[in-house]
Amino acid sequence: MSGGKSGSMIGPVRRSASPRRLVAIGVTLIMLLSPFLWLLQMSFKSNDLILQFPPPLIFTPTLQNYASLWQGAFAASFVNSLMSASFSTALALILGVPAAYALSRWAGRGKHALSFAILVTRMAPPIAFTIPFFLFYRWIGLLDTVTGLVLVYTSFNLPLVIWMMQPFFETVPSSLEEAALVDGASTRVVFLQIVLPMVAPGIAATAILCFLYAWNDFFFALILTRTNARTAPVAVVNFMNYEGWEWGKIAAGGSLVMAPVLIFSLAVRRYLVSGLTAGAVKG
Amino acid sequence: MTKKNSSHKSAGFSRRALLQTGAAALGAAAFPLPAIAQTKPFAGVTLRGASFQHRFFTLLQNYIPEFEAQTGMKVDLQLSAFPVYNQQANLELSSGGSAFDFVNVTFILAARWVAAGLLANLDEFTTDPNLTPAGWNPKDFVEGAQVPYRDAKGATYGYSWEGGAMVMGLSRMDLMEKKGLKIPRTFAELQQVCAEINGTDNVNGIVSFQLHHWCLPPYIQGFGGNIFRKPPADIMPTLNSPEAIQAVEYYANLLKNYAPKGVLTYTEDQARQSHMTGRSNIFIHSSAWITPILLSNDSKVKDTSRVVRMPAGPVHDYPAANSQGLGIPKNAKNKKAAWEFIKWALSPEISMRLVKEHGHSSVCRRSVIESEEYRKLNTVNGQDLGALYLEVLGLPAKGENYMAYRTVKEFPIVGDVLNKAFEQVATGQLAAQAAMNAAQEQAVANLRRAGTAL
Repeated sequence: MSGGKSGSMIGPVRRSASPRRLVAIGVTLIMLLSPFLWLLQMSFKSNDLILQFPPPLIFTPTLQNYASLWQGAFAASFVNSLMSASFSTALALILGVPAAYALSRWAGRGKHALSFAILVTRMAPPIAFTIPFFLFYRWIGLLDTVTGLVLVYTSFNLPLVIWMMQPFFETVPSSLEEAALVDGASTRVVFLQIVLPMVAPGIAATAILCFLYAWNDFFFALILTRTNARTAPVAVVNFMNYEGWEWGKIAAGGSLVMAPVLIFSLAVRRYLVSGLTAGAVKG
Repeated sequence: MTKKNSSHKSAGFSRRALLQTGAAALGAAAFPLPAIAQTKPFAGVTLRGASFQHRFFTLLQNYIPEFEAQTGMKVDLQLSAFPVYNQQANLELSSGGSAFDFVNVTFILAARWVAAGLLANLDEFTTDPNLTPAGWNPKDFVEGAQVPYRDAKGATYGYSWEGGAMVMGLSRMDLMEKKGLKIPRTFAELQQVCAEINGTDNVNGIVSFQLHHWCLPPYIQGFGGNIFRKPPADIMPTLNSPEAIQAVEYYANLLKNYAPKGVLTYTEDQARQSHMTGRSNIFIHSSAWITPILLSNDSKVKDTSRVVRMPAGPVHDYPAANSQGLGIPKNAKNKKAAWEFIKWALSPEISMRLVKEHGHSSVCRRSVIESEEYRKLNTVNGQDLGALYLEVLGLPAKGENYMAYRTVKEFPIVGDVLNKAFEQVATGQLAAQAAMNAAQEQAVANLRRAGTAL
């Protein structure tokens, strides 16, 4: 106990990992990563090797699956995914972050009712909105367009942004804003230059969640696109042909679909951890 | 004078030239347009079609530029994966859309689309000599393959581009001969051969795949049962009939005792791979999946393989058959252009070119399948695969249409229930009787919930 206390006084204690702990960590890691590692090794095998039983763990890897992906229509689908996920995330943040700030600072009677109303769109399963979206999009000509997907994802991500960002804004002391206002700063300056930098980790965490939602969506992309705006998850399913499944391409496509999310998450992991925990502690 | 003359000349020339140009323009307006219309009647039309990805369309795409050059239209053919296409086309047609001018009429959706009036009646095109020349001959399509695309009155809503006939492939005839076994002709013999071969030389007796509601019904019907009481008129499920229970028990025993481990979750690919490498002796499925043991370069058992009719049941000999068709959505914008495309894609000439130039044999035109060229290409080790294919494909049209169970719109609901019940039996969770009783109740409840009057 005393060690723990003294440790907290002088900083984090570096404890040497016991062999048992190392084994537990190793087993957990293998369990968590095995689906991904299995997919990855499949992507470097030929179809013959993939279906071989027992599966060979030592083999000559091939890049044929990846090469054939880029020769086909997958590259365009990948770009569509990237565009729809990035633009919808940006749009949801541009609209949602100021809205969350306003709601966090508003003390009026309708605050809770309004917050609840914003969340309503997330309360029904996506299937409930699919057919209306399909018919409406067909009518206004947004079917099979990246713009159409961006609008759908934004509409679903907006409540998420507003609800996630409110606790972050509530952690910012209002005395800071008052001091800036007394010094002559406008509300816009206070928001952009004082409050926003303080909630940057929250914005990063929220952005990742929004991006993940849009990036991983299959259902809306399946219904609202055909060939022009087809996204990567739908393109991967497209390798499940009537005459046989192209396992190698499915594995290579699946690995590629995961890559941007992994890279993005690793790039902002510092913000992600602090952002998610900071938002969780408040209130 | 000179000036005047020249001016006259110039004026005369101008007038003449003007008259000539005017006459030419008038002539061009009066004659060349109909002339163009005769040679390129669909110039400027963009024809939109959709289907699931299939070798037929991949090959057809090589010929489409010729069609575009002949007709002047541009063909935008959108190909997607089987489940993706079915989902998108179903939604498009059900909501009265006009995004597609022609579509693939998927076998399992055909009855629903035809009954719901989502497709155009193609008889309007085939009976008009201006739209369809006599040589195209709609009756040339194998009758069994056309059954799913007709309504109760006999009107046609699709023409088949691919046929699937259930046959049996035996990859290790060498082992069978060593053991003195003959090709099984009955269910009892099938079980015996599987038992004798299983485990010999590390070979499994039989292999199959996870689509049980495709593989199992021929056994149910072979024992004298059916999926519905009398489809398409009476669609009361009959999953717990004594014959259906007997069939489930029989087929589950085959897979439990003589198939590779994990066969219940095998995909068609896995099953074909096991068959083509000789790891499993028997595989019973559509000809397109079985004949690769004889025709594919990847086959390791070309010399020891046979492809024959699947064994007959004690009551019926009903091997499954299906087909995929091309049709025109009721609300399509360019119906005549779409018919022009269907007519061309399924013409005897294109069908024969697909056979001759690419070895694509699952066409549905009888005249092509019976041709000498087709026979030459599809006779391997003395086995006439074309005759076998034609024989099985035509069976549902002879006498009782025993494949009707699969073309009613209620089948997908009952098929799902059947799949689950079979898995419960094959994994030993439930006895066949209990599983099929529960399946019957479940199927009836699900159909009623879907609004079906039973």
